[in-house]
Formats: sequence, C-alpha cells, structure tokens
Amino acid sequence: MSDLPRLPLTVIGGYLGAGKTTLLNRLLAEDHGQRVMVMVNDFGAINIDADLIEKAEGDTISLTNGCVCCTMGNDLFMALGDALDRRPRPDHLVVEASGIADPAKIAMAARAEPEMAYGGIAVVVDAVNWPALADDPQIGAQMQGQAAVADMLLVSKATDGLPAGLEARLAALSPAPVVDLATVDAVAPLLLGGITPGAAQAPRRAHPGYVGWAHDGTEVLDRAALEALVAAAPEGVYRIKGKVLGPEGAHELHVVGRTVDIKPTTAARTTLVAIGLDGRVTQGDIADWWRDAVG
Amino acid sequence: MSSITVFKARNIITMDRNRPQATHVAVREGRILAVGGVDCADQWGAVSHDDSLADTVLMPGFVEGHCHMAETVFWEWAYAGYHDRTDPDGRLWRGKTDIETVIADLRAHLATLPDDAPLIAWGFDPIFLEAERLNRSHLDAVSDTRPVVVLYSSGHLMCVNSPALAAVGYERHSNIEGVMRGSDGEPNGELQEMAAMFPVMRRMGMDTRTRSHRPDHVRAFGRICQRVGVTTATDLFALLTDETAQTLSATTAEPGYPVRVVPAVSTIHSSPEEVRAQIADLARLNHDNLRIGPVKLMTDGSIQGFSARVKWPGYVGGQPNGIWNMAPDEIFATCELMQAAGIQMHIHTNGDEASELVLDALERAARKHPWPGARHVLQHAQMMGPALFARAAEMGVCVNLFANHIWYFGDQHAALTIGEDRAARMDACRAALDAGVHMAIHSDAPVTPMSPLFTAWCAVNRQTMSGRTLGAAQCISVEEALRAITLGAAHTLKMDDEVGSIETGKRADFAVLGDDPTLVDPATLHHVPVLGTMTGGYLNLL
Repeated sequence: MSDLPRLPLTVIGGYLGAGKTTLLNRLLAEDHGQRVMVMVNDFGAINIDADLIEKAEGDTISLTNGCVCCTMGNDLFMALGDALDRRPRPDHLVVEASGIADPAKIAMAARAEPEMAYGGIAVVVDAVNWPALADDPQIGAQMQGQAAVADMLLVSKATDGLPAGLEARLAALSPAPVVDLATVDAVAPLLLGGITPGAAQAPRRAHPGYVGWAHDGTEVLDRAALEALVAAAPEGVYRIKGKVLGPEGAHELHVVGRTVDIKPTTAARTTLVAIGLDGRVTQGDIADWWRDAVG
Repeated sequence: MSSITVFKARNIITMDRNRPQATHVAVREGRILAVGGVDCADQWGAVSHDDSLADTVLMPGFVEGHCHMAETVFWEWAYAGYHDRTDPDGRLWRGKTDIETVIADLRAHLATLPDDAPLIAWGFDPIFLEAERLNRSHLDAVSDTRPVVVLYSSGHLMCVNSPALAAVGYERHSNIEGVMRGSDGEPNGELQEMAAMFPVMRRMGMDTRTRSHRPDHVRAFGRICQRVGVTTATDLFALLTDETAQTLSATTAEPGYPVRVVPAVSTIHSSPEEVRAQIADLARLNHDNLRIGPVKLMTDGSIQGFSARVKWPGYVGGQPNGIWNMAPDEIFATCELMQAAGIQMHIHTNGDEASELVLDALERAARKHPWPGARHVLQHAQMMGPALFARAAEMGVCVNLFANHIWYFGDQHAALTIGEDRAARMDACRAALDAGVHMAIHSDAPVTPMSPLFTAWCAVNRQTMSGRTLGAAQCISVEEALRAITLGAAHTLKMDDEVGSIETGKRADFAVLGDDPTLVDPATLHHVPVLGTMTGGYLNLL
C-alpha cells in the first residue's frame, strides 16, 4: 500500500442547472489552503479566476491551489485511479456527477479503494425547480434517489430562507442535514472539512456559520466501539475525521452525514476533528458527546 | 492505365437488383469496374483473369453497424463464457457450461502466464449456469497464491479469489456496497458495480480506456472482422483523444487493412459543444478506411439489466422502471444541437419509452433545423412496434435492431424481463421493414460475437437458446436479412453510395464465402463458411 495519505473523495450530485458548477466555482475561489482536484463534466461552465491558473493543457487545468480536469462516463472510475497516481497527490478530490447520475455509485469507490477516504455526497437541490423534478414521471425517481443517498443536502436559489414544503419533502427522503447555501459564507468546510486533524489543539471556530471541535488523546477503541460511538454523535455534526488508536492497530475514521468509513492506519495518538453547523450544535455538545462516550 | 483484374466466382450475390447474380467481377483501383460474365470488363481494355476464387461465393463485404473495438482488449485475457468463441487469431475457446469447466480451463490457462501475472478472464455469464454462484473458493481452486479475476459478460460484476481480495483489503469488516458476503460474513469474492470493482481493476492493470486504439489492437480488430466477412464496422462509443485518433488513423491506413472503421464519438464524456468541435477537428484524419463523423448517445440501460426505460406495463417481476443515462432534457438539447450542427447521431434506446422519447426529441430538432438527409439511427430499438416504426419512417430515422438478442436472451426476456407478448415482438424486423424503415441488424460485439451471417440467421429464424421460435410473425426472408447486413447497414452509416452492394463504381469490398447463403437451408445460414474478405481490392483470405 502507498505511504501517501489517503485521498478523500467528495461527490457533488444534483440535476442540470441545480447549481453544482456555481458551488464548485465558490469552492475554487475560497482560501481553504488545500490542493483540491476537481473533476467536471465540461470546462465550459467552470469560471476559474485567471490569477489561479498556472497552466492549461489537454483535459487538465493546473491551479495554484489544485487542478480541474474533465473526465466523465464509465471511465470516471479509472480517472479516479489517475487522481491517486498524480504527484503530488491532491489533498482532496471533488467529482461533479452528471445531472442524472446516482452519486452514491461514485462515492462508494472511496469506501472500496484502500487509498481513498470517504468525503461524502453533497447533493445540490434547486429550491425553485426541485419539487417539480421530483414529481416528474420520467426522472422523478432518479431525483428522489439522489436526495435519499445524500450525506448533506445543499439548497440553492432559496431567496427567503428554506421553503418549509421543500424541507419537509427532503426530510421524508433523507435524514441528511439541509443547508441553505445562501446562508453560509464558505463552502469548503461543507465539502472538504476544512480543518487539518491534529493541527488545532484548542477548539476554535473554523468559519462563521460552522462549529469546529478538535481532540488529541490516547483513547483506545475497538472497531465495534468506534462504530457505536460515531452512531451516537450529536445531530448537527456533519463531518468527523481523524485517527483512533485500537487494540490491534489504529483506525482512520471518516464520517460524513450518516456514512462511516473506517480503514486501518498507523497512529501514535487519537486525534479527531469534527465540524457542525452553528445554531444546530455547539462545541460543548460535541465535547460532551466524546467525554460521555469514551467514559 | 491501371490494371484490371477480373475475379471469377461460383456465384456473386450482388444485392443490386439490376443484376442480382453474376459470375465475374472486375476490379480496378480498388473499385468495382464491371460485373457480369467473363467478358464483363473487356470494353475497358486489357484485363487479367484471377480464378483463385472460382470455388467461392462472393457477397458485398458485410457491414457491422453496431460493435465496439474494445473487444480486442478482452482478448488479452482468458475467455470464460458459456458459448464457444473464436479469438482474433482464429483460436477457438470452448464454451464453459459448468463451473468445473471454468475452473479447469482457467487452471490450464494460468500455466501459460508469466509467474507473477494475475489471471484475468472475461465473458462469464451466470444466467446460464444452474449450479451455485461462482465464488472465491472456486477461484482459489484455480490459484490460492496469485490473483484471479473473472469478469461477467454484463460488465457489472466480477468474481475474484482470496489473493485478489487481499490485494484490495476487502475483509469481513469492509462495509462496502457491492462487496458480497457469504453466510460466514466473509467477502465471498463476488463484486458488484464499478465502485467495488475498480480497486481490483486498478491493481491488475485492467485500465481499458483507450487501449483499443493502439496499433496491435486495431490490427486485431481487423482480423476479427475479416474472419466474419465484415469490411465496414463501427466503433460505436469511441473515446478518442487526439493521440489515439492519430494512431487509429495511421494503423487503419496500413496497406491491406481489412476494414473501414466508423467511430461514433461518445457524447457522455464531454459536452455536446466540445464533441462538435472535436469531430470538426478529428475529421482531418479521415481516409478511405477511417470515417470519423457521427456521434453516439446513450439514453437508457439494458432490458436484461432491468435498466431500460419501458412503457406500461413495465417489467413482469414488478421491478422499477429503468434509468436514464442522459436526462430527457439533455436528450432533447443534444439532439437539437447535433441536428443544427449537421452531425449524424446513433442513439442507444433499448426500451420502448426511450425509443419514443428519442423520436420526440428528433422530431422537435427536425422542426427547428430541417435536415432531410440526417439519417439518425435508433440503435437496439428492441421494443419498437409498428406505431413507432411508422414515426421513424416518416422522419427518415433508421433503426439498427439487436437480432442476436433473440437467440442469446430471448428465453430470459419471455420468462423474466418483459414477458411473453412483448418478447415475441422484440427486435421486430418484419414490422420495421413493413413500415418502410431503413433497417440494419447487429451483434453489439463484444456483447455477442460479431458474425453478420449469424445475425441474419437470428432475424430469419428467431430461434432462442432453448430451441423455440420466438415470434414467428417477425421473421424475415433470407434475402431481406442479407440486405440488412449489407446495404441496410451501409445506409445507416451513409455509405450506401460506396459499399453494401456489388455494382460498378462501388468499392471492391467483398465477403468471400464457402457456400451460397441463398441456396443453403435457412436454418443453417449461420454455418456458411467465411473464407475471408476483399477490401478495396486487397484480398485477405484466412
């Protein structure tokens, strides 16, 4: 196995015109400090600040903070292999699924591939058009299916808060947190996590709108105990990642929404970070959960 | 003056109604100069006579309107399918009708590989095996020290042995959808869908993306075609980069290359605008044997995979309707853009709902951007009936029906997918011809083996693997079927002015046969031997 850190994969789903590209444009423009590789359907709609572009050749545009490449279709999976083989390996891979695709089919690759880590499924839901699409006789089932597999539902085009009817419909399909993209001032914490495990000793607020929590200790948990612990995490925490010591080797943990990815790793200490939405969870809630859970 | 060669044959079936049969054909500059008797070209000057084909029967070179060059990549691996199959070099791989034979044959194949190479096999189809499902202990019996990977013919599954599972770290704690488990909770070796399969493929060197356009593979594709009498063939979902297109262009231009290749670029890998620009750019690489130009659209899935979009009453098992690979909005938008750009489309539609929606999209595009000569083609179109065929005929839309499905999957369709009534009118060649649609029939190789005479046999006899006749009312005559694999398919590729019949002015592209398909018992049409081909005047006998 490679000695390089695992490559986290986040998949962006959502119908044509829902706002996936706008979301990616926002991500690329943010100062998140990570080398992000973005795979898109086509370059046409991506609006990259010229200051960020280092060079463009063939199907890849190199940026000062990562790169954008254009690969889709059945060969997407082998392109994930290209991303893993890239040196330096990116810090995070973000794949824009096609408008009709099931994002879970792509995201599952991150759980299967030993050198990848699960970075979650973010489905962009267009507040204006989604309800009609979800009832469409041709594609309604596929639209609802996208929402059902999401780890987070990101609502675009809401002009006056989340429409109550939309929230109720989404809640019936999925327990994933619903976030109004108009109310967050950064999307990197949603899509990437945005905090390096172990870097922050003290709890801190990562960004306005988000609550961050970090832990550094020596707790030892077996896999079953870790899974039970994660299952009891407070609502409003949508990402937990880090390394946890175990009786037979350490675990690398990536939790996004309800999805848990645990793979073997090496570690000297138990280090974790979590991120949640301000107003839905507090640092204290997260700290209490951890303290109570590990006893 | 270039030389004129007059070839003598036992019979020449021309597909030209002006002279349906002949005994001699004169070739000059790679084209047909004259057809008729021994003296047919005498008025053109001095001729030389070639009687080496005097015992053979010539037909127009067959045209395979729906196949994939990727078949050659699979032949790098061992064949593990149920049916006998011949590789590009003519070696017969026997079909494996039980798991014991799969194991025995793979073990024998392993001995032929380098010591450190994994064993990869393809074409396995569990639908035909009555016994237990293939699992890792079967493959551990092939080797418990080297990775063994068996790809299923559907492309959606594989089975691997314990060393391959270990290579990707799949174990009892792996909570991965698609990593199937046995009753003991351990992965049983079966992996479903690409997410679970790709870590194995990545480690075993199974990246097939653009390999099929490498010179060795392009040449092997030529040999596949030559063995079955094909002189024009599509690559109907081509992923072309500038580099692979140049390789493809150079290799197909080698003297005597036996097949004219028509790649249809896929639109799913890039935006329609990019595809349009790419085709305009790549067309500069075209020559007699390479015809970059059309595009391929994928709309729904497959009937046997329950992913085709079907109309009421749906699947007999109550499975949910299939999935769109392109959103209907995208289908409409892409059809309009391609129509406006003057790019011919080959459009994959298996279910009748998909066929109907695509006809709607083509109709709207045609109203906005009239193009009488568009000749877009619905590919597979397996569930179209008279009403949809009538609409296709009205719009000049062609169909390329999947006749081979009747034999390979007909029994399953009747019993498990769409039920008896609709299975009996699948791939409805009779209805299509009666509606006046320009029709071809195809193999979709490597999904089923390329062999136009077999495809024609399917359309004539509609016999399934169990031996029954599935929908006798849709059978067509031998002559109609032979037309479908020659002029009919040439029409769908807009090459009917060049190939598809043996008449003055056309390319000297012939299938060289050992018997006369119009004289044999129609039930044995598929047994007519193919001795080779002539392409542009180059003779390529086996």
